Amino acid sequence: MTFSLDRRAAELLPRGERLAAHAAAVGALRDKRDAAGRAEPDFERLREQARAIKAHTLDHLDVYLERFEARAQQAGARVHFAADAAELRRVVTELLVAKGARRVVKSKSMLTEECALNPHLERAGIEVVDTDLGERIVQLGHEPPSHIIMPAIHRTRGDIGALFERELASAPGDTDPGRLTAAARRDLRARFLAADAAISGANFAVAETGTVVIVTNEGNADLGSALAPVHIACLGIEKLVPALPDLAVFLRLLARSATGQPISAYTTLMTGPRRGAELHVVLVDNGRTRLLADPAHRSALSCIRCGACLNTCPVYRRAGGHAYGWALPGPIGAVLAPVLAPDAEQRSLPFASSLCGSCSAVCPVKIDLHDQLLAWRGSDSVPVAPPPGTRLAAAALRHPLAYRAVALAARLVWPWLGRLRVGPARAWLASRELPEHPGESFRARMRARR
Amino acid sequence: MSARDEILARVRAAVSHVVAAPGPFEPARRRADFAAFGAQLAAAGGQALGPFAAAELAARVTERCRELGASGRIVASDAALLRLGAGPWQPIQPDAPPHAAADVAVAVLCGALGVAENGAVGLDGREASPRALPVLCEHLVLLLETRRIVPDMHAALASLPEGALAQHHFTFVAGPSKTADIEGELVLGAHGARSLSVLGIA
Repeated sequence: MTFSLDRRAAELLPRGERLAAHAAAVGALRDKRDAAGRAEPDFERLREQARAIKAHTLDHLDVYLERFEARAQQAGARVHFAADAAELRRVVTELLVAKGARRVVKSKSMLTEECALNPHLERAGIEVVDTDLGERIVQLGHEPPSHIIMPAIHRTRGDIGALFERELASAPGDTDPGRLTAAARRDLRARFLAADAAISGANFAVAETGTVVIVTNEGNADLGSALAPVHIACLGIEKLVPALPDLAVFLRLLARSATGQPISAYTTLMTGPRRGAELHVVLVDNGRTRLLADPAHRSALSCIRCGACLNTCPVYRRAGGHAYGWALPGPIGAVLAPVLAPDAEQRSLPFASSLCGSCSAVCPVKIDLHDQLLAWRGSDSVPVAPPPGTRLAAAALRHPLAYRAVALAARLVWPWLGRLRVGPARAWLASRELPEHPGESFRARMRARR
Repeated sequence: MSARDEILARVRAAVSHVVAAPGPFEPARRRADFAAFGAQLAAAGGQALGPFAAAELAARVTERCRELGASGRIVASDAALLRLGAGPWQPIQPDAPPHAAADVAVAVLCGALGVAENGAVGLDGREASPRALPVLCEHLVLLLETRRIVPDMHAALASLPEGALAQHHFTFVAGPSKTADIEGELVLGAHGARSLSVLGIA
């Protein structure tokens, strides 16, 4: 099986203006992250501290899981464990059915995307409404999110205006983000007030206090958990941090790395249920313990889902999130896919990278993302032969004579290469221009300089 | 074997308990005054007003409610009423069902602490009661003693009020509800309060 990101991107990512709009929106996030990092004198030391806290926590994860469970239960929460995606779906469905819940509001959770919770609940006759604006847009459009924190970043205002006109009866032809947001607010406010249950993810779980921490800019997780009689928070077991001083480090990094804000609008620490309500916390493995046992990839569990590696990735910017074919796109998605993705096809995602290293340079918890992408290539978990081009390049680079021959051939045909319109070259060159060739080899230039 | 025991067994097989925790983080020193706090709050789309003397607070809050053009109920928490006395606001019933806050135009509450590095105000669950009030109201007005401003999140989480975590929720609110999900363009008032005003108390 060969990797299909090129094909998927060609099918899924609109070209021309849309491509430019996507790249610009993603690039703007990267710029904001850089500015926030430069403005904060603690930023680089915070990254190192965050890395060290996660390394320690993951190496003592059994201790912190049991501590969190005990403290959360003392505070009145009910703690559940789910070994895999199917078990998460079963636990949540059973909780909702037992409560007779038919209308559920949901705030953003990459874990429930990973575990395909929504379609399962709908099949059980439970209406699930995503309440994050971006998630609501992609839900109404019957498509998955394309970015970890900006689910509808691939959509233009024109798309969204047409969608809302059809689904929410917004004014015909209106593409103003303010008025479109107001239309969604009106529709969702009624749904919040009528909800039988709220489902959310969680950004962190504090072992020492049994606290679940949820961060949003919209306030949708707060509205859901504040109004519904039942709140179910679903989180991966890697979300634990030992204590409140550790939480401070991550809260300072998360929004700065995600959107360039010093903090998001709402950061809520929930310890136990609201009076008269129920709080359920579901801790999910779904492959995480396999990563934990793998020294080369354990640190990928440190990810705080900020999206910074997506925003800086040249492949993500051009391909878009849908091309990755599962819940987590971008460099972190490609690193986690061989273990966490549901289908074999996504196991080859580590090949969808130029290994430029930009992802590792921006990661707030210093995951060695590009080293891990390389480590997956050739591992037994990624049963994929490298693409023909890569194999050819590898052969040429191993043998100096072959390399010189290839380089000479390239110099000769270079002027005509840009006009090639056959096979894979057609797709590649449709939106790219070849750089100008210097005309002589690097060796020749070095000889001339001596 | 239950899922719990199965997961814990897998975790125990994978970890070695050797990676030590890092020492405490030493943040850079920074200003912790109302001006620094207010600048960050403004960047987050909120507004810092004051600081005001205790005696003029009620007049300032009344003025702010008028500026917000709020047509509808104005409610104030018990702690806020203690500072404000009589005015256009009414007490909230903490035991009212959460949905009862749906028609509140302005909620006036007391902040537990302010964070200079990001303009966030810590809101204790006992104050934000019913729980839905600070997100369901159209406009949120918070009263904050300037001496409650701390430099950063490290100090904020180290100085949570006694019993804050025994209250279901403690929320840091930084500006009004916002979204940039349509082409990255910032829109205030996505779901929760459309505006946030913080009045400093000298």
